[in-house]
Amino acid sequence: PVTAGSVVVPYGHVIGNEKWRGSEVAQKLQGKVRLIFEDGLGLVDFHLSNRTCILYISEADLVAGDEFKRRLVRFRNASNLRGLVIVEKTQISDQYFSAVQKLVVLELGMVLLPVANQGEAAQLIVQLVSVCVREQSRDQGSNPFLHKQRPRLAEPALLQTAQHIPGVGKTKALLLLQHFGSIHRLCNASISELEKVVGQTAARQIHTF
Amino acid sequence: LSRHPPGKGPSLSILADSREISCGAEVISSLRAVHGLRVQVCSLGSSDYIVSTRLAVERTFQSELQGPGNRNRLSQRLQRLQGLFQRVCVILETDRARPGETSRLFQRTQYYDGVLSALVQAGIRILFSSCQEETAVLLKDLALLEHRKGAAIGVPTELEGPRQDLLGFYLSIPTLSYVGALQLCHCFGCPRDLANSSPSAVAAAARLSRDGAEEIQRYLRHSFDPQLLP
Repeated sequence: PVTAGSVVVPYGHVIGNEKWRGSEVAQKLQGKVRLIFEDGLGLVDFHLSNRTCILYISEADLVAGDEFKRRLVRFRNASNLRGLVIVEKTQISDQYFSAVQKLVVLELGMVLLPVANQGEAAQLIVQLVSVCVREQSRDQGSNPFLHKQRPRLAEPALLQTAQHIPGVGKTKALLLLQHFGSIHRLCNASISELEKVVGQTAARQIHTF
Repeated sequence: LSRHPPGKGPSLSILADSREISCGAEVISSLRAVHGLRVQVCSLGSSDYIVSTRLAVERTFQSELQGPGNRNRLSQRLQRLQGLFQRVCVILETDRARPGETSRLFQRTQYYDGVLSALVQAGIRILFSSCQEETAVLLKDLALLEHRKGAAIGVPTELEGPRQDLLGFYLSIPTLSYVGALQLCHCFGCPRDLANSSPSAVAAAARLSRDGAEEIQRYLRHSFDPQLLP
């Protein structure tokens, strides 16, 4: 049974697949996040929010063969949830890592995060949950990597742009912008209009550019 | 877009920042010698690599994510890239063991997991690499993938003479990436042509989003107020 559909995750909780009950991950998550176990999550190991879930690939899965690949592809085809793949990258499974990364990130377009063991996975899940919680509470400003649209003044940049015209330094750039008002109007100025602001040579240089 | 002759692999172009000559020499030589890519080294400033018309790649060491020491540098760079590029990728490279050092154990900190989580949430792609050669393989794979999606860098990356002045002019447009400026150079031989083109013509020619093209036109038409100079 392919189950990859969404599950309603209560705010700040993690829903774990029943098969993880009693595992090291579950134990380490205790007390840090509110973990609920559910049957029938199918392909998914943990749901972090209504739209983010985790698929866990153990060292044993990697060594066992290609079954985990079929599982990932089935998930990708059946679900529009954001799937994060956590993979155990150990001395033994290291040799498989680059092929897994190519499949997960480049071919399936999912997120891949390596951990050394279940303890590290638990620590990572705690951080992922706190990001999900912040996302749900629309506290976007807290993410240092999200692009903030700061309204920036165009004037200093315009002065720089004008100085990239051959023969135009800071003084002429300022004169030209003051006189013509915009780069667009400067571009469409005739030689005689330009000559009124700068000398003959510069006017010709600007017009040719 | 340049079509490659049948039977031969595509000859893909990648732009590398000049700082990478000193700190990523093996990445660049491996891209050229092993994978046969054209690597143009130029002063990108914004990112370490540009792999397609829409994808920038930042190469970072694992140790830089260990503690808050480099937080501002990385977040400022990535924020800027998010504004310039549709897609941003971070290649997280394992630190090289210094001579005399037996392989240092990587201590995974809570801070490191926090940074990874924030990158994931911001929609930034993360790839892990164990050495410079592997980073080169990943860059090649990314370039191939982008080529398949029709986003490969399709214009010559080397410019001569007066074209370099033109590139400098286009590069000074704040919302435009290096590859965007290169594309403009090849489509609009003088600023007048660019200024008088419609946003949709600019978007199509320079392979920009409609919004990106409109932003350029707004910038060129912005009426200059000397009072606002610092």
